[in-house]
Amino acid sequence: MNKRRKYSLIIAFAIMLAGLFTYGYQLREGLIVTDMSNLFPWGLYVSALAFFVGNAAGGLVLSASVYMFGITKLKPFAKIGALTAFANVTAAMLIVIPDIGQPLRLWHILRYPQFSSPLAWDVFVLSAYAVLTIVYLYILMLPDLKGPGMKELSEKLAKRIAPIALVFAIGIHVVTAWIFSTQMGREWWFTAALAPDFLAVAVFVGTTVVLMASVLLYGIKDQYKEGYSILVKIITAMFFVHLFLMYNDFFIKAWYGAESATHVFNILMDSILIHIFEVLAPLLAIILLNSKVRNSVSGVVVSGVILMAGVFAHRFLIMPPAFNAIPLTIKPLGFIDTYWSYPIATGRYVEGVSTIADYWNYSPTWVEFTLLSGVIAYMYFVVALGVSILPVKKED
Amino acid sequence: MRRGWVIDLEKCIGCRSCAVACKQHNAQPPGNWWATVETPGSKYHLTMPEQGRGYFLPVTCQHCKNAPCVKVCPVEATYKDKDGMVLVDFERCIGCRYCMSACPYGVRQFNWEDPKKTLGKLEYVENYSYGYPLNHRKEHNGVNRLVYMKTRFKGVVEKCVFCVHYYDNEGLDPACVRGCPGHARFVGDLEDPNSTVSQLIRDNEAFTLIPEKGTEPSCFYLPPSRKKKHMTEV
Ligand code: SF4
Ligand code: SF4
Repeated sequence: MNKRRKYSLIIAFAIMLAGLFTYGYQLREGLIVTDMSNLFPWGLYVSALAFFVGNAAGGLVLSASVYMFGITKLKPFAKIGALTAFANVTAAMLIVIPDIGQPLRLWHILRYPQFSSPLAWDVFVLSAYAVLTIVYLYILMLPDLKGPGMKELSEKLAKRIAPIALVFAIGIHVVTAWIFSTQMGREWWFTAALAPDFLAVAVFVGTTVVLMASVLLYGIKDQYKEGYSILVKIITAMFFVHLFLMYNDFFIKAWYGAESATHVFNILMDSILIHIFEVLAPLLAIILLNSKVRNSVSGVVVSGVILMAGVFAHRFLIMPPAFNAIPLTIKPLGFIDTYWSYPIATGRYVEGVSTIADYWNYSPTWVEFTLLSGVIAYMYFVVALGVSILPVKKED
Repeated sequence: MRRGWVIDLEKCIGCRSCAVACKQHNAQPPGNWWATVETPGSKYHLTMPEQGRGYFLPVTCQHCKNAPCVKVCPVEATYKDKDGMVLVDFERCIGCRYCMSACPYGVRQFNWEDPKKTLGKLEYVENYSYGYPLNHRKEHNGVNRLVYMKTRFKGVVEKCVFCVHYYDNEGLDPACVRGCPGHARFVGDLEDPNSTVSQLIRDNEAFTLIPEKGTEPSCFYLPPSRKKKHMTEV
C-alpha cells in the first residue's frame, strides 16, 4: 500500500469516528439536533440515501456491458465496479440509520414487514443487492484467489449472475424512487417520470464513480483509454436522458399551469441557485471529460467530483419543493384569488417562536453534516481498503 | 362500523377549545398539536382575510379510508382498526417518519426529543404533566397494540387517536367533541345511514378536504352558510 493511500485511510477512519461520536450525541438528544421538523420530516439523511443508491449503479453498468453486451474493453474495471457498488449500497443503508427515531427497533422491519410499504421493499432490495455485489466480486476474483484454473468457472458464473444482479440493480433505483413517487400528497414527487429519472441519474453518476476509481487505480494508460472513452460516452448520454426526463416533467406541469404545480415551481425558485448548480455542474464536468482533460488523472478526478457535487445538489432538492408545498393548500370557500396553505405544528418548541408554520427553511445542522461526512468517509474507506487488500486490480 | 366526524363550519367560532381539550386529554408536549383550528385565507387566526367573510377550519387526523400513512408504514405500526380508526402502536413505530411525509393533511407529529424534557420546559411543579393517565392497549390481528400512553417515547410518531381510550373504556365521545362550546362537532358511525353524522352529511352538502388526493377522509365538513346569506342580502 502506498503512503498516500495509507494516510487517506487514516483520515477517512478519523472522519468515520467523528461521525460515530456525533451519532452518539444525536441518540442521546433525539433528532431535535437536526433541522428537520414536522413540516419537513426528511432531510439530508434521506437525500443522501438517494445519492448513495445512485452511486451504486456503476457495478450494474459494467457487469451488463461486459457480460451481456460483450464490451470487453470494460472488463478490467468490472471488479472495481462491483466494489464501489458494494461500498455505496451499504453506505446508503448506513445513512438511513441516523434518520430512524428508534434505531433499536429496526429489526421490526424483518419481524413485522408491511407488504404495501415501498420502504420495506427498499430494505429488501438494498440488502439483496449488497449481498449480490459481494458474491459477484468474489466470483470475479476467483482466478486471483484460487489460481488461474478457476478462470473458466469465474467467467461462467459471472455470466449467470449478471442478469440477476441487473434486475436488483435496476430494482434499487426504481424502488427508492417509488418511496417518493407513490405519495400523491406531494406534487413534486408524484410523477411516473421519477423512477426512470432515478435510473438515468444513477447510471451516469454510478459510471462516474467507476471511472474515477479506475483512473486512480490504473492511471491513464493507452490500453485503458478506449475503456475510459466508453465510460464517458455512457455518462454523457445518460446525463442528457436525465435532463430530458426532468425537464419533460417540468414542461408538462408548467404547460397545464395548475395552481398546485405553480405552487411547487415557486418554491423551487427559492432554491434556484441549487437548481442551476445541479444542471451546470454535471454539464461542465461532462464537457471536461469529453476534452483533453480526460488524459490526466487529476483532471478526471476533479471533473468527477464536480459531477458528483451536482448530483448531490439534485438529491438535496428532492426535499424542499416537496415539503414546503403543503398538500393541504386550498382555495378557501368564497375566496377567488387566495391559495392558502393550512399551517402545521412544527413539533419543535422554542420559547417565543410560533410552533405553527407553513414554510420550513431547512438548513442541515453540523450534526447532519458530520454524520453524512462519516458515511462518505466510510464509502471511501471500503473502496480504498478493498483495492489495497483484495486482488481488485487486474495485473497486466 | 366506520367512526367519523362531522364538523359544522357554520357553528365553529374558532375558539380552539377542541385543540386545547385534545392537547390536555391526550398529553401532547409543547410544540405538538394533534388538533388545530385556523382561519382560511389568513396568516393570523381570528383575523379575517376580508371583513365579515371569514370562517374557521378545524383540522385533525381525517382517519382516511384509503390512508396513505397506513400503506407506507414499513412495520405496520400505523394501522386501521376494525372501527375505522387509524392508530399508531407506540411500541412498534421505528420513527422513520414515512407516514408524516405521506399524510396530505400535516397532522402527524414526531417526538423530536424526549417529551419529558419538552414538558420540563413548562414551568409546572416538578414531575407534573397533564393528560389521560393510563396506557391503553388494543388487540389487532391477534397482537396487543399500545395505542395510547401518557408520556410517549422519544423518536416515535403520534397523532389523533380518535380518543380510543375514552371510546373503549367509558364509551365517551372524543375530547374535542365534548369540549366544543358551539356544538360544532359530531361523531358517529358513517356506515349507519341513520346515525346523526350520516344524516348531517346527506342533508347539508357536506364536503371533505382535498378529495383529489384520493384519501377518502372520515372527517366531513358542513359549509358555513354565511356566504348564502350574503348573497340573498344583495
Ligand atoms: S389524515 Fe393523515 S394521518 Fe390521518 S389517516 Fe389520513 S393520511 Fe393518515
Ligand atoms: S414513523 Fe412509525 S408509524 Fe410512521 S411509517 Fe415509520 S414506523 Fe410507521
